[in-house]
Amino acid sequence: MRVVASLVLWAGLPALAPAASLVVEVRDAHGEPLSEAVVYAVPEGRKAPPPSRPAVLDQKNRTFVPHVLPVQTGTAVTFPNSDNVRHQVYSFSPAKRFQLPLYQGTPAAPVVFDKPGVVALGCNIHDRMSAYVVVVDTPHFALTEAGRAELAGLPEGRYAVRVWYEGQRRELEAQPATLTAGERRELTFQAGR
Amino acid sequence: MAPRSFQARLLLLMVGVLVLLQVATLLAVHLAGQRSLRRTLRDELRVGARVFDSTLSARGRQLSDTVRVLAADFAFREAVASGDRPTITSVLNNHGSRIAADAVFLIGLDGSVAADTLADSRFVDRPFPLPALVDRAREKGEAAGVVALDALDHRPYQFVVVPVLAPEPIAWVCIGFTIDERVLDGVRDLTALDVSLVASPPDGRPLLISALPRDKRAELLERLREQSRTAESLQLGGETYETLLEPLETADGSRVQMLLQRSLEQASGPLRQLELRILALSSAALLVAIVAASFFARGVTSPLRRLAEAARRIGRGDYATPVGVTQGDEIGQLAAAFDGMRAGISQREEQIRFQATHDALTGLPNRVLFLDRLAVEIAQARRRGSLVGLAVMDLDRFKEINDTLGHSFGDDLLVEVGRRLGQTIRASDTVARLGGDEFAVMFEVADARGALDVAARVGRALEAPLTLGGVSIDVNASLGIALCPLHADDAGTLMKRADVAMYQAKRQHGAVAVYEPGRDEHSLRRLAILSELRQAVAGDQLELHFQPQVALAGGRVRRAEALVRWRHPRYGLMSPDEFVTLAEQSGNVGLITRWVLQQAVAACDEWQRAGLDLAVAVNLSALDLHDPELPAFVVGLLQQRSLPPARLVLEITESAAMKDPAHAQTTLGELKARGLALAIDDYGTGQSSLAQLKRLRVDELKIDKSFVTHLGGGASEDALIVRSTIELGHNLGLEVVAEGVEDAAAWERLERFGCDLAQGYFVSRPLPEPQFREWLETSSWGQGRGAPSGDQRSAGERASGAGGNA
Repeated sequence: MRVVASLVLWAGLPALAPAASLVVEVRDAHGEPLSEAVVYAVPEGRKAPPPSRPAVLDQKNRTFVPHVLPVQTGTAVTFPNSDNVRHQVYSFSPAKRFQLPLYQGTPAAPVVFDKPGVVALGCNIHDRMSAYVVVVDTPHFALTEAGRAELAGLPEGRYAVRVWYEGQRRELEAQPATLTAGERRELTFQAGR
Repeated sequence: MAPRSFQARLLLLMVGVLVLLQVATLLAVHLAGQRSLRRTLRDELRVGARVFDSTLSARGRQLSDTVRVLAADFAFREAVASGDRPTITSVLNNHGSRIAADAVFLIGLDGSVAADTLADSRFVDRPFPLPALVDRAREKGEAAGVVALDALDHRPYQFVVVPVLAPEPIAWVCIGFTIDERVLDGVRDLTALDVSLVASPPDGRPLLISALPRDKRAELLERLREQSRTAESLQLGGETYETLLEPLETADGSRVQMLLQRSLEQASGPLRQLELRILALSSAALLVAIVAASFFARGVTSPLRRLAEAARRIGRGDYATPVGVTQGDEIGQLAAAFDGMRAGISQREEQIRFQATHDALTGLPNRVLFLDRLAVEIAQARRRGSLVGLAVMDLDRFKEINDTLGHSFGDDLLVEVGRRLGQTIRASDTVARLGGDEFAVMFEVADARGALDVAARVGRALEAPLTLGGVSIDVNASLGIALCPLHADDAGTLMKRADVAMYQAKRQHGAVAVYEPGRDEHSLRRLAILSELRQAVAGDQLELHFQPQVALAGGRVRRAEALVRWRHPRYGLMSPDEFVTLAEQSGNVGLITRWVLQQAVAACDEWQRAGLDLAVAVNLSALDLHDPELPAFVVGLLQQRSLPPARLVLEITESAAMKDPAHAQTTLGELKARGLALAIDDYGTGQSSLAQLKRLRVDELKIDKSFVTHLGGGASEDALIVRSTIELGHNLGLEVVAEGVEDAAAWERLERFGCDLAQGYFVSRPLPEPQFREWLETSSWGQGRGAPSGDQRSAGERASGAGGNA
């Protein structure tokens, strides 16, 4: 229930009709549950509402936290630096090229990710630091935990369900799902070999 | 040409053995060294190959790191991420040159080349030719490998591929570094090997990257083409290189080989140095050995040379010098033996010399030594101007003493006399025994009176009776003295003169006589003969020779005339002419006649036993006719031998027969009565009358050789005498013998005249018994078929020449 409530809260819509939910299981090439995979369902035939709130990608102990951050297109992400060393955050990904020159604390302006796509992030002075901001055109996304993720509060309708995970060779084929109200559907993605 | 001397041979042997040993050692060292060197070199080459390998790996890692740093450069990444090809190309050039890269490629994640630094960008938009390298880099984060790309320039490169991270891989950057001479130099510095790389592209033109000098590279390529298989040694620029060719692992499968080499000449430097050192050592050892060997050889040979020298000295008769080699070894023993031999020879020679120069009985000097010393003494006295006296002494009646008391007594007597004489004289004088009972004393005196004093002393020494073996005897001596230079100038003459004086003393029955100048040699000889005749008969100095008498009719030997000879110890062979008269004078002829008769009868007996029908003729002296016992003696002899009396013919000279016809008639009559044959010798010289001849009752006549010898020459008077004598003899019933037949002509005449027997050199000269027997057996006369031909005489007889018959 909590999830539904939050979805409703995120969507900012009055949830009058009972929502559907998707439980997606992602397995790697060996059939093992895959964590930190981004699961998202893109509604077809209608526009998603604009993002409602910013996101945060923190840097702690010379690590981006979280490592994978799914956001809806147009989300502003702030990159606070919680370390006592400076970082220089950059991205050469086509979805969002930017760099934040060496800084400490929280930079004044957040970075707005206005194009869908995977944005690989790095720190120019700490080669080991990496993070991904996965920009999707939908507010319905979630990260797998122990290979599973649930998208709840999905309005009735048709969706293209997609998965992205770090290190994927090629994009897994999207699975279409037409959800009816109150339906709980389970989908499984198997990473290719 | 083998060396002659022992020293040289010894030296040669020792040095030869040493040289052989050293050559063998050197050869063994050389071969072992070469083998070990090869092994070492192969090991070095293999190690070198590993070093090369690891050097390349290390370089690969180092290059990877460099490239990784480059790829992490933010600006680089930024440029790459820009996607703008000109920008990317320029950043590749820029950053590539920073790390001295030879080629830089940017490879997209799709595996195609996004940009490169090659002038013609020939790889751009094409698949990267080494996808495997990229794959490995994708797996491991980086990859490095050696490649020799055909599409590039065949040269071997080290390629390094790393991802461009932003932070996830956005591209691959591949950077190539050529493997150039500097890399090889590094390996060479590490391994001390010549290092090369050979790339063999499919088009078949090998490419060589080498640290070798430029001139050798072309040659090396040439060799490699010739010997495509890995040859272990290659000839380069006149040097031999030990070679190892090993394939290098390449990322693209291209054929790249590493070639490691080491010059055998350089590598064997230390070995050669070692060999040179050994050679030097060997030479030094050889030198030492030669010196040592020659020392040793000299040590061996110099005593040998000294021994040889000593032997030569001994050969020369020098026994005084010792050998002079004293050492403990075998040579020393030889030297000692040598010394012993030297002493022995010396001693024995001394002994022989003593025996040769001294009388064995008395130990006094003998005649030889005495004459020697006398000569020396004379020479010395001449210088001093003094006189040398010589006394020759002869014991009276010695033969009698000898015969009566025995030889051993006689010897003792001589020894005692010698001893007494020795005591009498002064030390500077010399006593000698000259032979028999003859002694001599040599002394130095001032004058003749002094000499008589010496003689008196000698006389006194012999005065005391000699007592030997209980027999006491008086000894008298005759002493002859001669003085030099009063009587003679030399030892021989002085001796003779002293002899003469001694005979004089004997004759005068005085004890001493000094030589009187004027007494000649002849008298001396006569005296000597007189005194020695008896001794000659007893001492076996007489010999009997035989001359055959041959029948003119038939040429058979019928008898032989026995002729006496005296082999005198001093005067040699003497004919009876010389001594028989003397014997007659001294009354000794009977002795001789009896001796001759004995010997002749014995010889005749032997002939008879040997089957020879021969009579023997013996000459009698006139004095023999006075011997009343002669006929009995003769008959006794014949009876002893059982010989018929007719076998013995007794010859008496005409003169002897005529000298005392009465006695002759008696004796001859007696002989005749006993059956003996009688002959008148030398008929024609004694003016005998026929009546006398008739009375003597002889059986034959021997015509004197003075008539016969010249008969062949045609002397008519001689022929007449001979002929008439033959006729006369025959008329009287006598056989006639011709003496002195020397040629065939005489023989023929005699034969014609009817002479019965012939004797003379034409048949044979008188011969001693053994030769006579031999003549009988070998000569044609002896065979009894003698022919009166001119060549009848043997060569030997002819050679002996004409000479009077005995």
